[in-house]
Amino acid sequence: MAWDSEVKELERRRHLAKQQGGAEGVARQHAKGRMTIRERVDVLLDPGSFKEHGRATASPVYDDNGELIEYVPANYVVGFGEVNGRRIVAAGEDFTLKGGSPNAAGLRKSVYAEHLASQYKSPLVRLLEGGGGSVKGSGKQGGTVGEPVFSEPRFKIISDSMGQIPIASAALGAVAGFPAGRLVASHFSVMTEHTSQVLIGGPALVTRALGVEMTKDQLGGADIHLRSGVVDNLARDEHDAIEQIKRFLSYLPSNVWERTQRSPCDDPVDRMEQDLLTIVPRDSNAGFEMRSIIEMVVDKGSFFETAALYGPSQICGFARLAGQPVGILANDCLHYAGAMTAEAAQKYRRFVELCDTFHIPVVNLVDQPGFMIGPESEKAGTIRYGMAAVAAASQASIPWAVVQIHKGFGVATAAHYAPGAYVLAWPSVESGALPIEGGVAVAFHKEISAAKDPIAKREELEGRLKDSRSPFPRAESFAVHELIDPRETRPVLCDWVEWIQPNLDTLVGPVTFPIRP
Amino acid sequence: MAKMEVESEVTGNVWKILVEEGSKVTSGDVVMILESMKMEIPVEAPADGTIAELLVQEEDQVEEDQVVAVIDVN
Repeated sequence: MAWDSEVKELERRRHLAKQQGGAEGVARQHAKGRMTIRERVDVLLDPGSFKEHGRATASPVYDDNGELIEYVPANYVVGFGEVNGRRIVAAGEDFTLKGGSPNAAGLRKSVYAEHLASQYKSPLVRLLEGGGGSVKGSGKQGGTVGEPVFSEPRFKIISDSMGQIPIASAALGAVAGFPAGRLVASHFSVMTEHTSQVLIGGPALVTRALGVEMTKDQLGGADIHLRSGVVDNLARDEHDAIEQIKRFLSYLPSNVWERTQRSPCDDPVDRMEQDLLTIVPRDSNAGFEMRSIIEMVVDKGSFFETAALYGPSQICGFARLAGQPVGILANDCLHYAGAMTAEAAQKYRRFVELCDTFHIPVVNLVDQPGFMIGPESEKAGTIRYGMAAVAAASQASIPWAVVQIHKGFGVATAAHYAPGAYVLAWPSVESGALPIEGGVAVAFHKEISAAKDPIAKREELEGRLKDSRSPFPRAESFAVHELIDPRETRPVLCDWVEWIQPNLDTLVGPVTFPIRP
Repeated sequence: MAKMEVESEVTGNVWKILVEEGSKVTSGDVVMILESMKMEIPVEAPADGTIAELLVQEEDQVEEDQVVAVIDVN
C-alpha cells in the first residue's frame, strides 16, 4: 500500500471540493429559490453521466506545520456529461462561494470551459450566476500582476468557439460583467422570470457613475432584456430554462464538422391542412397569424421559437420537416406589418448566421412589406442593419426554401433569398419594388398632379397595376419554381427535404462568416 | 387601483377603436386597430382591467410609443 495515504488524502480533498460554500452557503442559495451549480448540472445531465474536470481544485490554506486548515473549493464547476445520450460540456459559477466571483482556480476553470468544449468538439452549456471579477484582491503587493503580455486574449476562444460548437447559456441569478458577456456570446440564451437579472454593471456601479438609483430588476430584469435582444427566451424557473436549452440543442449537430441528425417522424409528410387555403384574407390590408401557418406545415409540435419579443415583426425559430431540423424564418404582419425594423434585421442576420454556421437548412415564409420607413426607422439606422441581413442571406451556403405567402416588396425582400433557393408561391402573393399604393403616388406624380381629378387618376393607375399583380405570370415566366395550393406546402417542402440530404451530408466544416454575438 | 398605459408600437393612423371607456378587457384583447405600412396593426391590452381613458380618436395620427389608452388594472 505504497501510496495509500496519498489516495486517502485525495479522496478527502475531492470530498471537500464538493462542499461548495458549506451548508450555510447552500442554505442561503436555496432560501433565494435558486439551485446550486451542482444541482443544476444534475438536472441538465443524464443521471450519473457527469465527468467533472479538476475535481480537486481549491484554494488551500496551511498552518506553520504544513497541515491543511482551510480548503476553499474552486467556485467554477466544469466537465463532460450527456444530454439524451449526447456528450456535452456543462459549466457554471458556484454562487455559494464569493457570489460566483472567481477565485484563483475558479477563474482558470471558467476560461477552460470553452477550450474543453472546442477541443473535444462538444456543445457547451453554461449555467450562469455571478458578477465576474472583483476589485478585492487585485491590490496585492509583490508577485506578478496581469496576464503575460504575450498571452492569447482570453476572449479569443469565446469568439472562436461560436464558429465551432453549439453554445447555450442560462442566466439563473444575477449575471453581470464577464458572465453577462458569456451569456450573449451564445447561440441561445434564456433567463428565469423572477430570479435572474442580466447587467453590464449593477445598481451600485450605476449609482456611482450616473447618480441614478435603480434596482437590479429595473436595470436588467426579464422585462428589459427579452426586448433588448440580449436574451432570447424567458423561462418560468430553472428547470424550464434547462429544458429549453435541451430542446435548442436537439436541433443542432454537436459541432460544425457533423451534419444535423434526422429524427423519426410519425407526422405524415403528405398531410394537407384545409385551413391553409383560407388563412390569408383576400383583403390585403387585413392581418393573419403567421405562427398558425408554421404550426400547420412543420412536423406537429416541433416548432421552437426564439427571441419572440425582440424585433417582433420577424419570427425566428427551429422546427422539423420529415424529421429534418430546419431553421424557420417568417414575417409577422401583426407587428409593424411584418416590416424589417433595425431590431428585426439584427435578429434575422444572427439567425441566418447561426443556421449557416451549423448547416441547418432554412425555410423562409415571406410576408415582407419592406424596410420599416419613417423618422424612428431612419434614426435607428435600419438600412445598415437591413443590408447586413441581406448580405448574410445572399452569402449563405445552406439549402434554402422560400414560400412567398403574402407580400414581397423592396430591397428588404432580398434578405429572404439565398443562392440556389427553392422558391414556392401561394396565390395570395403580391410583389414588386414598392407596394402599389405608395409606389403609384411616387412614380406617376406628374400624371396625377396634371389630372383634373388627381385622386381619381391615382386610383385608376393603382387599379390597373393591381390587375397585373396576378401570381400566374410569375409561374409562367419561371420566376418562381412552383405556384402551389397552400395546402400542398407541407408535402412539397418534405419532398425538398429529401432532395437536400446529399448536400447536408457533404456540407460540413467551418464557414467563411461564422456567427458572432 | 393600479393604472397601466397602452402604447402604440408603431407610427400610423388610428383606424378603428374597439372599446369604450369603462369596457372590461383581458390581457391580449385588441383595444384598437392602427393602420401603418398599409396593414391593420392591432394594439392589444397589456393586462386585465377596465379601460379608464381613451386618449385618441379614430383617424388620429399616433407616434411610436405614444400612450393611446390607460387601463385600470384589476
